[in-house]
Amino acid sequence: MIFETLLSQMPYLVHGLTVAIGLLVCLLSLGLALGLVLAILEVYGHWTLRLVCVLFERVFRGIPAIVLLLLFYYGVTDYIEMGSFTAAVLALGLRSAAYQSQIFRGAFLSVPNGQMMAARAMGMNKLQAIRDIIIPQALRMSIGPWTNEFSSELKATSLAYVIGVVELTRQAKYIISNTQGNILVVFGVVALMYFVVNRAGNWALYRLENRLSLPGFEHRGDA
Amino acid sequence: MLLRVENIHKSYGAAEILKGVSFDMAPGQSKVIMGPSGTGKSTLLRCINHLTPPDKGRIFVDGEELTAKNLNTMRQKVAFVFQDFNLFTHLRTVENVAIGPRKLRGFGKKAALDLAYKELERVGLSDRADAYPAELSGGQQQRASIARALAMEPKLILFDEPTSALDPELTGEVVSVMNKLASEGMTMLVVSHEIGFARKAADEIIFMEGGKIIEQGPPSQIFNAPQQDRTRAFLNVIEHGDDA
Ligand SMILES: Nc1ncnc2c1ncn2[C@@H]1O[C@H](COP(=O)(O)OP(=O)(O)OP(=O)(O)O)[C@@H](O)[C@H]1O
Ligand SMILES: [Mg+2]
Repeated sequence: MIFETLLSQMPYLVHGLTVAIGLLVCLLSLGLALGLVLAILEVYGHWTLRLVCVLFERVFRGIPAIVLLLLFYYGVTDYIEMGSFTAAVLALGLRSAAYQSQIFRGAFLSVPNGQMMAARAMGMNKLQAIRDIIIPQALRMSIGPWTNEFSSELKATSLAYVIGVVELTRQAKYIISNTQGNILVVFGVVALMYFVVNRAGNWALYRLENRLSLPGFEHRGDA
Repeated sequence: MLLRVENIHKSYGAAEILKGVSFDMAPGQSKVIMGPSGTGKSTLLRCINHLTPPDKGRIFVDGEELTAKNLNTMRQKVAFVFQDFNLFTHLRTVENVAIGPRKLRGFGKKAALDLAYKELERVGLSDRADAYPAELSGGQQQRASIARALAMEPKLILFDEPTSALDPELTGEVVSVMNKLASEGMTMLVVSHEIGFARKAADEIIFMEGGKIIEQGPPSQIFNAPQQDRTRAFLNVIEHGDDA
């Protein structure tokens, strides 16, 4: 029976899901850290640094995710030893950094000039002003657009199956080939799992945005 | 001298905005800079703390020359109050005042907050300490930004048209705080057309036009017997409106 099969295979799907979420957390963290640095350099850096950042961003936004995965796994592993999970974190994380840098860049630019000016006028150096004044304001504004990035990257983790990361989609393929068939049901369950994680993440981020919103800066109405 | 402004020149592109401005301020003095729009008053104030570095000329605070090297420490001695307040929008009023002592003057968290409450009391804002800037009126925001300046315990405060973004009924509360500071001996350099403050609190009026000081002297002299026709014409306009 199909439901018995599903039930017995459930632990594999759940394991696949935790791998997918692990990959998501790693790639988003890498993307967040690097994306912030790129955005700061693009907005406040010397023009040479800005050029490097723009180049990086163009390259990683201009190549399909699946090609990046293949490049990192088959291309780079010839020179540097790494597993498929690491290769997926790097390929998708660097790409995410390019997208996230654009989110943060927009947020930095929308912090009024007077904020930086007031910080510098009281004697903060540029880094202090960015860290203590600009970033706290810019990050708040970034949560909304960042929610989209969360959703696309969650979906993009499924591509990692092409380089052999045993995440949710890969587990589904295994189950289907082991149990001969049940394609629609198994992928239906997998689709539901992605959907639920996606909604839960969106909900949590929306909550965070509301909690951190400042009087006079509420972006959206009530949920 | 507490402040020495020596032959400041500044151009934007081909336009020379400041054409050699010099003056001194003794500790405890208040001076008011007046003059027509576009004359370079804001540019001059911004040159004094190098928010806009001058092309030529020198600034001394307490005998020490302001350079690119000592910029950040010197700015702690020269506070700046902006026309549009520029309070930090993500911080509560008291945190706006505490952040300078906390991050720049080595205060602990508790000591910085204590000082912040004290400065808020000085500007009559103790009851709004927990509000965010967006929850304050314009007059309250400007008083909070004055408290933020005071918390740096500066030698000198520069004010760039501190009341011109405010409705007339809110101007008074800011001017009375400034009067009080002047009477307590704070050294203040104020760009303002607020005649009340200039008459009552200023030791000297500096009248600028076309990037130069064209007349300076005690308020009684400038307001009652200005030497320059341009000064007289300008004062007529601000005292009696455009049709004077
Ligand atoms: N960053 C800048 N780039 C180019 N021109 C500038 C810049 N800042 C100021 N100016 C020009 O310099 C001149 C003097 O400006 P400034 O703001 O110092 O005048 P002001 O005396 O403060 O006038 P107001 O009373 O209107 O505030 C103006 O013509 C202005 O357009
Ligand atoms: Mg001005």
